[in-house]
Amino acid sequence: MEDILKLLGGAAATMLLAFVVGATYGGLVRKIIARTQNRVGPPWYQNFVDISKLYMKDTAVHHGVMQHIGPAFAITASVTVLMFVPVLREGGWFPWFENLNFKGDIIFLIYMMVFGSLGMALGIGQTGNPNASIGVSRGLSMMVGYEIPFVLSLVSVMVQTHTTSITGLMEWQTQNGWLMFEAPFAFITMLLAILGMFHYAPFDIAHAPSEIASGPPSEFGGKYLAMMMTSGSIFAFAKLVFLVDVFMNGASNLVMLVVKTLLLYMVPVLYGAVSPRYRTEQAIRYLWGWPVFFGIIALIYSIYI
Amino acid sequence: MDTNDKGVRKIVDMITGFARSNSLFMLAYGTGCGDIEIPPAMTSRYDWERFGYRKMATPRQADVLLISGYLATKTLKRVIRSYEQMQEPKYVVAFGSCTINGGMYWDSYNTIKMLDHYIPVDVYINGCMPRPEAVMSGLFDLQEQIKKGEANGAQKYRENLEWYRGNQKKVIKNWVMPEYNW
Amino acid sequence: MNSLLLIILILLGGAILAYLAKRITPMLSSIVSFLAISSAAVVFFTMTSSTDVVTVSVRNFTLQFGLNAYSWVFAAMVMGISALVSLYNIAYMSGKDRLGYFNLNFTLAIMSMMGIVFANDWISFFIFWEIMTWSSFLIVVYNGIDEGKIGTKYMIFSAVGGYAMLMAIVITNSQIDSFLIADLINAYPTFGHGMQAMIGILFLIGFSVKAAVMPLHVWAPRAYSDSPMSFTAIFSGLLSKMGIFGMAIMFISVFSKASIGDTFIYSQVIAWLGGVTAVMATFYAVIQKDAKRLLAYSSIAQLGYIVTGLAIGTKLSVMSALFLAVIHALYKGILFMAVGAVERQAGSTNLEQLGALIRKMPWTFFSALIAAIALAGIPPLGGFVGKWMLYESMITSTNPSHLFLVILIFLSSTAAFLYVYRLLFGLFLGQEEPEWDHVKEAPAPMVIPMVLMALTLILLGYAPGLLFEPIANGMEFLGFENVGWQMSSLSNIWGDTVDMQYVWGSVVTLFVLGAIFITIKNRKSTRYVTTKDIHTSGEIPEAHENLTYAVDFYKPFERAIEPVMRKTMDFYYNHFGNGLESLFGFVRKIYTGNGQTYAMYVVIFLVILLLIGEQIFK
Repeated sequence: MEDILKLLGGAAATMLLAFVVGATYGGLVRKIIARTQNRVGPPWYQNFVDISKLYMKDTAVHHGVMQHIGPAFAITASVTVLMFVPVLREGGWFPWFENLNFKGDIIFLIYMMVFGSLGMALGIGQTGNPNASIGVSRGLSMMVGYEIPFVLSLVSVMVQTHTTSITGLMEWQTQNGWLMFEAPFAFITMLLAILGMFHYAPFDIAHAPSEIASGPPSEFGGKYLAMMMTSGSIFAFAKLVFLVDVFMNGASNLVMLVVKTLLLYMVPVLYGAVSPRYRTEQAIRYLWGWPVFFGIIALIYSIYI
Repeated sequence: MDTNDKGVRKIVDMITGFARSNSLFMLAYGTGCGDIEIPPAMTSRYDWERFGYRKMATPRQADVLLISGYLATKTLKRVIRSYEQMQEPKYVVAFGSCTINGGMYWDSYNTIKMLDHYIPVDVYINGCMPRPEAVMSGLFDLQEQIKKGEANGAQKYRENLEWYRGNQKKVIKNWVMPEYNW
Repeated sequence: MNSLLLIILILLGGAILAYLAKRITPMLSSIVSFLAISSAAVVFFTMTSSTDVVTVSVRNFTLQFGLNAYSWVFAAMVMGISALVSLYNIAYMSGKDRLGYFNLNFTLAIMSMMGIVFANDWISFFIFWEIMTWSSFLIVVYNGIDEGKIGTKYMIFSAVGGYAMLMAIVITNSQIDSFLIADLINAYPTFGHGMQAMIGILFLIGFSVKAAVMPLHVWAPRAYSDSPMSFTAIFSGLLSKMGIFGMAIMFISVFSKASIGDTFIYSQVIAWLGGVTAVMATFYAVIQKDAKRLLAYSSIAQLGYIVTGLAIGTKLSVMSALFLAVIHALYKGILFMAVGAVERQAGSTNLEQLGALIRKMPWTFFSALIAAIALAGIPPLGGFVGKWMLYESMITSTNPSHLFLVILIFLSSTAAFLYVYRLLFGLFLGQEEPEWDHVKEAPAPMVIPMVLMALTLILLGYAPGLLFEPIANGMEFLGFENVGWQMSSLSNIWGDTVDMQYVWGSVVTLFVLGAIFITIKNRKSTRYVTTKDIHTSGEIPEAHENLTYAVDFYKPFERAIEPVMRKTMDFYYNHFGNGLESLFGFVRKIYTGNGQTYAMYVVIFLVILLLIGEQIFK
């Protein structure tokens, strides 16, 4: 019983932290994009205001049970990924709460990461909105694009370190140095892959607002949209922590964690701020081009080092 | 916690008012000439995102409906549909003299003259056309109203639905609209 | 009487009775078939033990049947799933023509599968193999669509496989003078390299045809999609697994004892073939317009994983292959049955036309959803367990080529999300059309098997050990030592683990909490609206206007993968056929049928003989 309470407490506390940091990052991103466009931009806490306003909406409509529970799929995936990723090094970050990072490994996380998008996609499918379905089609196609370099990079890291668990990777890095430098090609591949993963420009055609009316979420409003945005904030943070754990040996305190994740997050954000938009097949071909090339080099490097 | 307690109520209202007024998701219904005033208000010259305004793509996500100009009766039908698809609380901001009294279209056979006979308007912005400064000043007024809890057009619409429907059906001849979704 | 023979006799008798019962009333035929199969299943699960052996002598010829730990896995899978499917079959086939013919072959196919897994010698193996081929062939042509093309293709490839196997059996017999499978396993290391390779390749060809490995898969898509769905659930789920059954014996028991051992080059080739099959079949599945065709290609792709897992041949990979074999039979069974239910209720399986059946067929949707999640390999269901073990076995492999293969497999399983979504979206989601208003939920005999199998998938996600136990016993029988397994924890050889109990627990808990939260929040002011009430820029779609985006759903993806999709395997086979035709044409030119030409050949022959004869016959 106490274990379960500890787990639930850990889940709640991690979720809260992830939400706060993730939503703040979202606000910062809006600010950064605004600054690159020579605007002032919204205050940093704008995402909190948006999300809480959406939760306070009085009414909500749905087109059926799948749309109704679609956001629940998304939040399940985000929080589960977060639960299985060590947020801070050395056994969790609040001594009295538990994380589940010894119970899963990288392959599991790769699969868990797509759980949410597939569940959401089912919810979106039920709305019957053609724009939303077009967005789903584009998003899923693009997912096949970025998943390949993403997996190539992770596989080469796993082969190089002879472990598939994140805690194992972090122990390896404590002894041998950051994988960012020890597996440089894998890191380059990952940087290229996360350009696609975070759905910023030039890979944002799935959500193109003025072309397909924001695509997937176009029928979601009120609490549904709020839950999607919450889940998105948590998921962005979870992915960043995962990447920091894999390539930068995690972080031992919150300040370092924020610094590292923010640095990594700036790669897709800044690239996106100055980029136009790829069409879906162009995006897929781009992601299967140079990123896969670097990924194969990374794999060969990891085998023969 | 007793939500009916006066003090608690006040705090809750303050928080809701703050969140609702500082995060206005706009659905710009660009009719007539007014839509051209919205891009300058959005982009670097005036940058309305610094006040938490944001343009959304669909009525489901939006809070504010911007009607930016005259409305032909055909367009009115779409406006009503979009308005009814929005989630409450929802607000309407109407631009220009065309929406107030018909403006230069006052004797046109196929445009409506007073928008608030058809949907409840929270803020009118005067001018032909209003400049972005005027648009934003109107939105500030809307924010003030929301904070005070006075921007309750949706409630008005619900209470006087029959009157609004009567007016709408008077000008829209081929009325094939689904019933209102609350 | 021995229980193994009893099972086969029950099924054989059931087949004949089913044929005769049709004369009383057609429905009775399916019921008899169901009764026969389910009572055989009851006999199997209650009366057999995994050490039964029985010998049947006909004149001076003996056939040996036996059950062992390995074949128990397959026998249990066949019996369990076919009992459920035959229940489904009653409702699915009701009202169709020639039920006696269909149910005869249906029951015979199941009997032949039981015969194959019981067989202890190659002769009975081959006999039942051919019964299986024939009975399934007769069902493939049952619907009468394009039967010339589909049936011929299936028959030719099955014949190639069958003859290859027969040849291997005869060669084996000429070497060791025994038909017993166990004797081949023992004697295999003593053969020469050439003989080892030849027997191995011939057997693998025979098994690969049924397992639809590229390039021998050409028959599969149409044969799967054009049979009645109640049979395709068996065809793709179980019948193809007989190829896997044989292949596992070859790879694990036979090859690993050979002198060339682990580096056996053919297993590398087969592993890569499996990977390529998986990717190409997945790509084809993504671009299909018909639910049945989509699932047919998907079956080929999934069998590709299983073949790859077997060919890699480590403990974990074989475990994953056998686990996937069982799980695949479950989820593909559900999906084919669900599509069959839709076909029966709505009269179409076209993904571009159907839509929004979720409110009309909720139970079918639920089972299809669970099956689809398992197919995509998403935790916490059983499909993930198999996929996880496959990836881990490849990543931890010492052979570098497997590390590149894992990327191929990943590509295939990521692209699998696409067709999984397309299937669920095309059939169950999207805009509600008045055209499909008449559709009702399928009758209970069709729904119950699907839901039961879906619940099994959920259970296997929580406790995959239930399935690990028989598989581990079977693998120990095949020749692995100390196959470790745990009830709900997976681990690879580097010592990394995934705890399915926690995964299942946290996913289910969070999902339930999330669903409760979103339901009780503003519950009173949350409304259901029809799918016509969507954002369409203020336009009001009329009842007949179909706004679902379903035609060419993955056009962008198609454009991206277009370079690899230009030529199908059919293209090469057609060229091969054309080449043969011109070869035969050339032969025809020699045999003109004209006496004078033949006389000239004789003269030429004599002249050649005179000229060079002295050197030859010195």
